[in-house]
Amino acid sequence: MELRDIIVLVKASLNPEIVRQNPNGSYDIEYTPLKISDIDRNALEEAVKLKSILGGKVYAISVLTWGPLKTRDKDLRLAIQEALAKVADEAYVVADDSVTPTDQVIVSNIIATLIKAKGLRPALVLAGEASIDESTSQVPARVASKLGYSYVGYVRKIIDIKNGKIIVERDLEEYTEILESPLPAVLSVTQEINEPRPPTLIQIRMASKKPVHYVSLKDLGLEFKMKRTIMDMRVLTITRKQVVIEEANVEKAVDRLLEYLEKEGVLRI
Amino acid sequence: MQNIIVVSQKPSDLGELIAIARRLGEPLILAFQESAVSINEITGYGHKVYRLNSDRPEALYYAIKSLYDSLKPKLIIGPTTKNVKDALSLFAGLYDIPLATDVSSIEDRGDEVIYKRGFLSERVIMTASVRKPAILLVKPKIVSPAEKIGKSDVIDLEVTAGDVKLLERKPKVLSGIKLEDADIVVGVGRGFKSREDLKLALELANLLGGQVGGTRPIAADYKWLPEDAWIGISGKRIAPKLYIAIGISGAPQHMSGVSDSKIIVAINKDKSAPIFKLSDYGIVNDLYKVLPILISRLKARASQK
Repeated sequence: MELRDIIVLVKASLNPEIVRQNPNGSYDIEYTPLKISDIDRNALEEAVKLKSILGGKVYAISVLTWGPLKTRDKDLRLAIQEALAKVADEAYVVADDSVTPTDQVIVSNIIATLIKAKGLRPALVLAGEASIDESTSQVPARVASKLGYSYVGYVRKIIDIKNGKIIVERDLEEYTEILESPLPAVLSVTQEINEPRPPTLIQIRMASKKPVHYVSLKDLGLEFKMKRTIMDMRVLTITRKQVVIEEANVEKAVDRLLEYLEKEGVLRI
Repeated sequence: MQNIIVVSQKPSDLGELIAIARRLGEPLILAFQESAVSINEITGYGHKVYRLNSDRPEALYYAIKSLYDSLKPKLIIGPTTKNVKDALSLFAGLYDIPLATDVSSIEDRGDEVIYKRGFLSERVIMTASVRKPAILLVKPKIVSPAEKIGKSDVIDLEVTAGDVKLLERKPKVLSGIKLEDADIVVGVGRGFKSREDLKLALELANLLGGQVGGTRPIAADYKWLPEDAWIGISGKRIAPKLYIAIGISGAPQHMSGVSDSKIIVAINKDKSAPIFKLSDYGIVNDLYKVLPILISRLKARASQK
């Protein structure tokens, strides 16, 4: 049987635009809103194109990283709704406070176990090249390893998909490569792959009718001992001098700037 | 002493990685590289070198797996580069080994290791502990490079290429300039209206003895600059003595790449741009007015000396 389905991994990430600190200087994680990780939008957009070629179903999978669910539920739902509105037919969500804040070892185990337990047989698993909060770029590769699927990271172009194979362009440090991978494969995509369009109002309305399956760790028969403990999260307060020269006379402004730089000892001429 | 595998992609990374690894145990070097790299560049640190004549992530995956299976290291240290992240994430998934990227400090605590890393576009520093074995990919320039101290035995590794076939490799259009090594960097953003206008930034950089880099739209989307001039979370992270941000609004994705700069200067006509809060000195004015004058002042200074 030819594989036709697609899975897109979607993360409700901490929003890096909103970084607040507690009075003691620690990061106020509790009240930081979550939002869909930007690069996941590129993965969803690419799934639209691939779905029209493969003709199968699209599943979104999301694992809650930052708890507690009680306060994160709304943000998590919004992220999943975007995936459903955009392209997914169904969503699977694992949100379990016993493993938040979770780590990449656990997330990848949950995703891989879920895919197997639900009998999903995708041609492709798509994900963003990195999440906007932790930015470690490791979960897609870990999932590929766990499932025994092929893996290509940093895909910036899908060139062709047919006969159980996919041809892609990968972006590495100093070169790009054209690669041919067998299916099923896990691909992480970069922001250059497409220009994500927001879902339409009709798509958003339709999304509320699509099934969202909440799956517990117990359902999956999983139990974890966390390998990572977050000990501290501290807001980096870079104390820049913030001297702003609003002098309308440009020549005077430039002279003042050069004086400052001279004093700092950073000019070589 | 515990075995530490040091993964090196470029010989220039190796000195710093060795310096980190020596503090933690006995380094064993896994150099994966293009065949063009000479053997002298990866030897002389006095440690055993496993050489892999390929810089493909697929080959590195098999190489690290075979070394891990035979040597059972407690720590694997490497640079935070795309090739290394890709290969080691795949490997980490195989044995559920924790992996951290962009690590800025490491403290060994027996069965555990404590590290610090930046997250949320480097605006928050996380301190975490993980159980060993662990993979820690570090930021550049967190330590001084180690000295070469003795001979190294070199063992060549042969590995399979896996099921992903390489059809074609295209070098990126690169400047070849190492932005991360420059003392002064002029950064250009969307305030520049055309590619032509970048010559203003180039002239400024030349006068200052610096280099030009840019934000994501300039380098990756418009391609007005080579890709290795892209500064930011998915591009280069730099730590020059002076960073001059011109026509750059100050988005976190860009600023995370320059947050280690000693002095940051902003030139932007929008007074409310976030960049002014993230800079030491700023001029609120049109870059097209400021740059010609800044350039002529610097020319005058240069001719006086």
